[in-house]
Amino acid sequence: MLFNTIEFALFLPIVLILYFSIPHRWRWCILLAASYYFYMCWKVEYIFLILFSTLIDYFMAIQIEKNPNKKWKFLLLLVSLVTNFGLLFYFKYYNFVSTSLNELFAYIKMDTEIPMMKLLLPVGISFYTFQTLSYTIDVFFGKQKAEKHLGYFALYVTYFPQLVAGPIERFSTLTPQLKEKHTFTYENLKKGFQMILYGLFIKMVIADNLSGFVDQIYNNPTQYGSKDLITGIFLYSFQIYSDFFGYSTIAIGSSILFGVHLMDNFKTPYLAKNIAEFWQRWHISLSTWFRDYVYFPMGGNKVAKGRWFLNIMVVFVASGIWHGANWTFLIWGFLYGLIYILEKLFNDLFHIHNKWKPFTIGHLLLALKTFVLVTLIWIFFRSQSFHDAMVMFQSIFSNNSSPKASLIIPAFVWIFLGLFILSDFLFYNKRFDIQVNKMPFWGRWVVYAVLIFSIIVFSGVDNFPFIYFQF
Amino acid sequence: MWKKVVLNFLILIGVLVISNYVYTKWFFEDDLKKNSDIIQIVRELPKETEIVYVAESSNITYRMDDLDKRKISEFIGDYYPGIQVSDLTKAASHAGIYKVLLEQIPKESKVKIVIITLNLRSFNAQWIYSNLETALQKSVVLLKNNPPLVNRFLLSFKAYDIKTDKERQAQIISYWKSAKFKTQHLPYKNVIEWDRFMAQKGILDSSGRYDTILTPLACSYIKTYAFELDTLSNIRIKDFDKIIKLAKQRGWNLVFNLLPENLEQADRLVGKELVQMIERNAEILKKYYSNKGVVVVDNLHLVKDDQFIDRDFPTEHYAEQGRKAIAEQVSKSLKCWYGSYYKTPIYTTIPKTTLLNTCENSEIWNQRQTITTEKSYSGTKSSLYYGENPYCITLEYPIGRVSDSLKNKLTISFWYLQNSDSEASLIIESIKFNQYHLTNQYSITNSNSKKGIWEFYSTTIELGDSMKNADVLKIFLYNPTGEKKYVDDFYVNFQ
Repeated sequence: MLFNTIEFALFLPIVLILYFSIPHRWRWCILLAASYYFYMCWKVEYIFLILFSTLIDYFMAIQIEKNPNKKWKFLLLLVSLVTNFGLLFYFKYYNFVSTSLNELFAYIKMDTEIPMMKLLLPVGISFYTFQTLSYTIDVFFGKQKAEKHLGYFALYVTYFPQLVAGPIERFSTLTPQLKEKHTFTYENLKKGFQMILYGLFIKMVIADNLSGFVDQIYNNPTQYGSKDLITGIFLYSFQIYSDFFGYSTIAIGSSILFGVHLMDNFKTPYLAKNIAEFWQRWHISLSTWFRDYVYFPMGGNKVAKGRWFLNIMVVFVASGIWHGANWTFLIWGFLYGLIYILEKLFNDLFHIHNKWKPFTIGHLLLALKTFVLVTLIWIFFRSQSFHDAMVMFQSIFSNNSSPKASLIIPAFVWIFLGLFILSDFLFYNKRFDIQVNKMPFWGRWVVYAVLIFSIIVFSGVDNFPFIYFQF
Repeated sequence: MWKKVVLNFLILIGVLVISNYVYTKWFFEDDLKKNSDIIQIVRELPKETEIVYVAESSNITYRMDDLDKRKISEFIGDYYPGIQVSDLTKAASHAGIYKVLLEQIPKESKVKIVIITLNLRSFNAQWIYSNLETALQKSVVLLKNNPPLVNRFLLSFKAYDIKTDKERQAQIISYWKSAKFKTQHLPYKNVIEWDRFMAQKGILDSSGRYDTILTPLACSYIKTYAFELDTLSNIRIKDFDKIIKLAKQRGWNLVFNLLPENLEQADRLVGKELVQMIERNAEILKKYYSNKGVVVVDNLHLVKDDQFIDRDFPTEHYAEQGRKAIAEQVSKSLKCWYGSYYKTPIYTTIPKTTLLNTCENSEIWNQRQTITTEKSYSGTKSSLYYGENPYCITLEYPIGRVSDSLKNKLTISFWYLQNSDSEASLIIESIKFNQYHLTNQYSITNSNSKKGIWEFYSTTIELGDSMKNADVLKIFLYNPTGEKKYVDDFYVNFQ
């Protein structure tokens, strides 16, 4: 069930009404049942994976907490890690590793072939695996008490607004809110409605209208001239941003309706002055996860420079692989690590500071530089293979003088994209609901009316699922 | 709190009402053209239409060497010269789509008879769960009986049968697994077993080897036709039932044209069990709809194998004689309403030697999708060819049927428009079925060619042996670049 479908438009109010019409102590049942139903809409069988993962982490965490022996604790943590990563590896990476090894075997003329599996990636597996792992690790380090209520723990793993594509929440922030007794308030209804509306707008009007043009370019890069290719990769930067930002905004809005506040996943990332800042603004829940559970345990930046470089590279490459089982994602992550380090060295060498005030020339020039870099790196993210990415780069710089096709983008798409970019400037470091609530009542309704009309009338009509669902 | 909620709700209603007005007035028409182009088919129905022929691609598909490439519906019109016979043709469509199309016919229209193709294949799982279904269902959302804004909302929020190709395939497999053969004693439990048996056993060629072309074709026949029609559960039956209801409301007489299937091929490749299954399903349909007062024209056995165009997949695409035979049968069934108008047409067997395509959409040449109103030399349209549509309107001429005395020279002329030096070529393809496919290419531009204005081109070509002995000549212009080029008033003369 996608957020931008009629099914979800019916599902959400039904769950909301049921949730607030029963006593508080049974509300978790409604949310859990709704979450399982929501997930089963994709593929019924994969619910067993979540159930299995939930049970393992539930029992392991309790045992870790109970057991005074450190070795045993570690062993129990290992069981949780192996189980979760094992499932993730099997469904997401097995075929990639098999293919890569088979290619290697063929290259060295070794007569071995690892069989391939016919597997369908369970939607959201990377997200809920990381969410549940953060809990077990926190319990292991004593930062979090083990949850005794299986129902609430299961709800933490499967809470439907953020189940399939985040934000990846921590147990300590999400579960207390799920346990809290909420009343139905006008404020939450208003804010939830505002966020859902804005999220739908950026997903359906911006991202979905760009998808077709981006697909055209990436499916046949050699057919187009350099100008169209540059336009295509520029559009992809905004497609993926609006697609994922749209999803996160709808997730946050849906959750607010239940009184549960999810973390912000995006903070105008394309206005970041460098790659380090970009990752503090893009997919924040994932970058903070890697920071807390990979980077800091490896020593963070409180180590020798060489080791710090390694830490950075490990985090970014791991982040790349997290996204998908393909060399392109690995390269994508590697490039971020490399540029992160180069920027740091460059800034240190030339004593360049990044403390420009927002919207000064310095800020805007640095933001432009970061945006260009990010846009070029997205080519690896979007391409189906390394070869495809190289073809794209070659085509951009080959200056094809007689292209066989041309990209014709209707004016309304540029207008909406322009509005979206403008809104990024207006909402710099602030959320849509906060900004819009500063407006008078009728002013708000003008904004709502424009958004409602645009969503209904200007939405892309082809079916483009959220890009991050594939991870 | 509730006061605020009610106030906001009322404003929301107001916003939606105004939005509906704005959308209907300024955006709906463009949306219809973009997302529901099939409405054009209905809108283009001539006002005087009394007989409507509703069909999928069987109506419009022709073979390259057909002398007369017209539609079945046009052949029906030949039998009733005084009556306006028109068609609603949408490739890959079925009764579910026909119903929506028929609902769009204005109530004040003069339509009295609706002829609908009863395509046996459209009752099978492959068609019901076809991957074309998503696009088809999407194309009718805006045509539903709701306020336009509601329909656009349904379109935006994907409120139609939307599934990926994988999901469609899974539906087909699941149906095949569950639909067990009941009425016929066969050694196979269901279509999957039958298909597997055929694939394993295979069809052997004359030297006793596994035929890699005919075996998959036999499997296709099994997957296409091996089903037992259940009038209670088959979704297509329900769609046709709705059409019958609609016809009653609108006072139309219904004729169902049970389309011919290639039974010879089915028998040769698979055997009489499959033919019997096809015949039984056809019989069920005939009885079911005859009992409901519909005239069912049984053309199942009408067309011989050599008139089926596609040789690598079972389809209802017929060559000229096949289409004419169907038209004759359907026309005869209309006698009960229009007996006094009935007139047997006389068809010529000699191809025209002078052909002119003015790009106004009246001539049946290939690549008609290139016709555009962007530019024209005469009339209002021309053919635009570039990039992903590199071929202009294309003449497919059955030269094999022309007497030798008219196969000496070929004069070709046309008006063309281009804005750059990039070259377009005139191409003549000589096709001798199963023997050769040769291409001759001629440059049409030179250094004196003017850019941005219509230029005239004319050439006379001596026909070589490969052209003279071919079955079909294909004549067209080719422009693989991204530069737009136009052609109009394409003239060909055989001397």
